Amino acid sequence: MPGPIDYSKIMIVPDFDTAEWWLGTKAGKYLVRQCKDCGHTWFPPFPACNTCTSMNLGWFETAGRGLLHSYIVVTQPILGAFVEAVPYVVGLIELDDCHEADGSLVRVGGVLLDDEDAVAIGLPVEVGFEQTSDPDIVVPRWKICGTADNTWKFTG
Amino acid sequence: MGALTDKYCIVGVGETPHMRPSNRTTLSMACEAVKKAMTDAGLGPGDIDGMSSYQAGDSTTSNHVASSLGMRLNYSVDILGGGSSTEALLGKTIGLLEAGYCKVMVIFRSMNGRSGRRMGGQAPSGPVPPTRAAEDNQFMMPWGWTSPAQRFGMSAMRYLRDTGTSTKSLAEVAVAHRHHASLNPKAAMRHPITIADHQNSRWVVKPFRLLDCCLETDVSAALIVTSRERAYDLRQPPVFIMGGTGRTMAPNAAWNYSRPEIHYVAGNYGRQRLFGMAGISHKDVNLISCYDAFTFTTLIQLEAYGFCGKGEAGEFVKGGRLQIDHQLPSNLSGGHLSEGYTHGISMVIENARQLRHRADDACPGWAEGKHSYDREAGCRQVRDARIAACLGWGTETMSSSAILRGIAA
Repeated sequence: MPGPIDYSKIMIVPDFDTAEWWLGTKAGKYLVRQCKDCGHTWFPPFPACNTCTSMNLGWFETAGRGLLHSYIVVTQPILGAFVEAVPYVVGLIELDDCHEADGSLVRVGGVLLDDEDAVAIGLPVEVGFEQTSDPDIVVPRWKICGTADNTWKFTG
Repeated sequence: MGALTDKYCIVGVGETPHMRPSNRTTLSMACEAVKKAMTDAGLGPGDIDGMSSYQAGDSTTSNHVASSLGMRLNYSVDILGGGSSTEALLGKTIGLLEAGYCKVMVIFRSMNGRSGRRMGGQAPSGPVPPTRAAEDNQFMMPWGWTSPAQRFGMSAMRYLRDTGTSTKSLAEVAVAHRHHASLNPKAAMRHPITIADHQNSRWVVKPFRLLDCCLETDVSAALIVTSRERAYDLRQPPVFIMGGTGRTMAPNAAWNYSRPEIHYVAGNYGRQRLFGMAGISHKDVNLISCYDAFTFTTLIQLEAYGFCGKGEAGEFVKGGRLQIDHQLPSNLSGGHLSEGYTHGISMVIENARQLRHRADDACPGWAEGKHSYDREAGCRQVRDARIAACLGWGTETMSSSAILRGIAA
């Protein structure tokens, strides 16, 4: 990522379903929603469990690690906040510790600190946190943290 | 439907030019499109008693359009939504007409898609306030992942990896739709392109190049639906609605990205209902409109609706198979990639014109259904066009469709 993301140009608006998640990032935690009745985990934090319909919900603190399932490389900025940051990589991260017996899993998006040349599908990544210009908002950002066999890279 | 197959028809179509920019209101453009559709059908404002539009908080309402044109409606409802709305509204319309809520329904879209509010971002000029990252966007916008190109690009990238498909197959879609646009006097982009032109165009968001992306334009388009009994008395050969689906969802539709296969799209869940209702097979289809917000959305829906096997679309489209005079001509007006962007309605309109054998091309007798079939001379009428499939796309997890039948062939 050549330049910084200007978070003053994005107004993040936590709400009834998400406010606790943003408190989590402020505390250095990457949370996903968890059902207190059946244990199912999901993200984004929609307000009911889509396995058992329970609304008795808590949070699961993930280890903040996963495998890169896909990615994009943004070369043309759409938002003012990212004008200095192009080209930047957005990854789709399959979290290591949210796999369930029925095949359910959790994938989350996140901006990668790594340059395109370093990125490939299948690589392990881990989360870090960055304070924005808003004292109440801390955002996660991800970084490649190892190597893997059978990775795949977009070559055009 | 089944029992209602062929009972309701598209009887009128019309649109404004594709403008960049329009310098007009969405109300002004909608009035023009609805008037043209009425003229096309041979109907007047007193004949119309139902109207619906789809929009994203970026457009006028049925109430305003009807009032401006002197109509008093018995049914007027506008819905939220972009791509996949048109086919979904066809289904809703059939229910309303059947139940007697109204007799003649206008469906329209009016959008300043280029000069007004743009998808996933901000207007191109003027002061730019902070963008609100609310609701689901809290978990996309802060990481610079907002526009349709950026969102669908994630699924496209994984598709390319999982299937070994080359971006040259994406190029085949762009080349086919541009070829058709070159035969369409209304299209915004008419100069033919090659696979090399696609491969040499600049990146927008990898894996998408500029020529993978649709053209944002300012435009309004409208169509009119009524019963076949009424349709027989109108100006145009009727186009019968055989069946359809409306915003069929894949599981966990609100967050595509945690599904096992992020490119196993919603059409897979709508396919049997669509063809079952219409009582035909995909082999009976002569031409398609396959929503091309991006080349990828056309490619992946060929698999979803069973025109080729899973993971085989990249091979299927090679050799110009989607081009006119080939096996499965797609988006005969040039589609969103090359004619202009209407969130889907223009593709349904083009199929209606094709099924009437009245594609508005360079043939002097097109309005009477007289075509030369000479592509060099600018004819874009598909020979013997009888059945068209309209394959709408909202997202990976939401899709609408319709099968239309003409009697003019």
